[in-house]
Amino acid sequence: MNCPPAKIKKMRELYSKTGEWLRGTGPESDIVISTRIRLARNLANFPFLHRATEGQRKEVEKLVREKLKEATLTKDLHYVKLSEVSSVDRLCLMERRLISREHAGGDGERGVAFGKSETISVMVNEEDHLRIQVIRSGFELRDAWKTIDEIDNTLEEKLHYAFSPRFGYLTACPTNVGTGMRASVMMHLPALGLAHHIEKVFNAVGKLGLIVRGIYGEGTQALGDLFQISNQFTLGKSEVEILEIMEGVIPRIAGYERMARKALITENKEQLEDRVWRSYGMLKVARMLSSEEAMHLLSQVRMGVNLGLINDVSMETLNELFILTLPAHLQKLEGKEMEANERNVIRASYVRKRLGAFQ
Amino acid sequence: MKCESCNKRHATVHLTEINGDEKRERHLCEECAQSLNNPLVKMPTPADILSSLINQVAPEIGEMSKTTCPACGLSYLEFRSKGRLGCPMDYTAFKKGLVPLLEKMHGASQHIGKVPSRAGKELVVKNEILQLRKELDKAVEKEDYEKAAKIRDRIFELSASEDKKDEGTLQQNG
Repeated sequence: MNCPPAKIKKMRELYSKTGEWLRGTGPESDIVISTRIRLARNLANFPFLHRATEGQRKEVEKLVREKLKEATLTKDLHYVKLSEVSSVDRLCLMERRLISREHAGGDGERGVAFGKSETISVMVNEEDHLRIQVIRSGFELRDAWKTIDEIDNTLEEKLHYAFSPRFGYLTACPTNVGTGMRASVMMHLPALGLAHHIEKVFNAVGKLGLIVRGIYGEGTQALGDLFQISNQFTLGKSEVEILEIMEGVIPRIAGYERMARKALITENKEQLEDRVWRSYGMLKVARMLSSEEAMHLLSQVRMGVNLGLINDVSMETLNELFILTLPAHLQKLEGKEMEANERNVIRASYVRKRLGAFQ
Repeated sequence: MKCESCNKRHATVHLTEINGDEKRERHLCEECAQSLNNPLVKMPTPADILSSLINQVAPEIGEMSKTTCPACGLSYLEFRSKGRLGCPMDYTAFKKGLVPLLEKMHGASQHIGKVPSRAGKELVVKNEILQLRKELDKAVEKEDYEKAAKIRDRIFELSASEDKKDEGTLQQNG
């Protein structure tokens, strides 16, 4: 479907920068990249989406879109109707974590509203009528909860949510019912991976009611040593109780990662340095880079920067490269659709440019 | 091993007959075994096998299989095969089946946590009491009796106001 020119311009502006949550700031930001909380909400007077007729779907989309505009959640809220933008645009929004993989791939009337800083987004007509999301740089569960709680209160004044005293906020899938809350923390754990300790961490975390997933959610691969740790249960515990469990666990995992890094640097300093510098070198000279390879190399360099082995590249640049070198973003930066091989060439060239290497 | 009756097909049914002290083993194919008309060898139908499997995995299905949500028309079986509910009403219509399912999934079936202000103040209070009871358990476990006493007082306070309201509604209803 063709986009109106104004919309294309706006979308292009979006892709040249990244969201505030990639700044590499906030508590534990050497290891915790970002904190995200999402709330699943549904309207009381409509069937859940997969049972809704085309007409009901449209009605929900229109109603929520209008109320979102009225609610003025942030002063620069931007709404994108996903049925009106290209599939590359949708993938871009997914790569930026403004929408889920399912939302990018789905069909029918649906949309997403997000603020300029990209820390707030509301998906309309995903699996549930509303999926409200807040992302923060670093480990900021409380701050994210405070913000999302307020957004939820504001929207609740305008929309009649499906809620039952027994089961809480009602959702299409019973795995989300209750608080409807999923809090996830994206962690960079390269040393635990190198030391083969990652499995132990996952097992321990599982016993505490938390689960580990790849960076784009359920069923996705863990690329670049990036993992999302989130709460598994949504019923029977309050939002704050769930956050308290995570607040107890996440800093320990971060501590464990730091210990593993320290062990690497004291026991195998040369090896570690070699690995980090080789990765940096590869990024600076490679003529073709696949997305997976880029992620892997960036992960090693990121660890090198954290350990003070490399100091001429910023954390923000590295965090950004994780997103901007993904397939849809590259195609947007180039302004055309490209096959994998061509993308690999462009990716390598873009990385060299950003790292200030020889062209 | 060949069937000892027809001597053609593969023997898949193995019987041990005991007559007094005499023990006799028989090896038959399925067809010959059926024709023996022995009630023991009666093969379960695929439907029997399925329902016994379902009963093992999800015992509530048999009972709930005829339930359909009056609002959206989704049947309980459809819900169990797809894993998605059809509308908010389903939580009421399928409550009997959902409660054990949620217990298995979340380890709980009672919501504790945020309540929309639209749902009314009473509910907010009720949830606060539930929350406080949990905290009370925790405090007792940690032997922090001072904190436990404070929580207990707060629960009494909240329950008292709740009871008054309950009486009110009872009178209204009665």
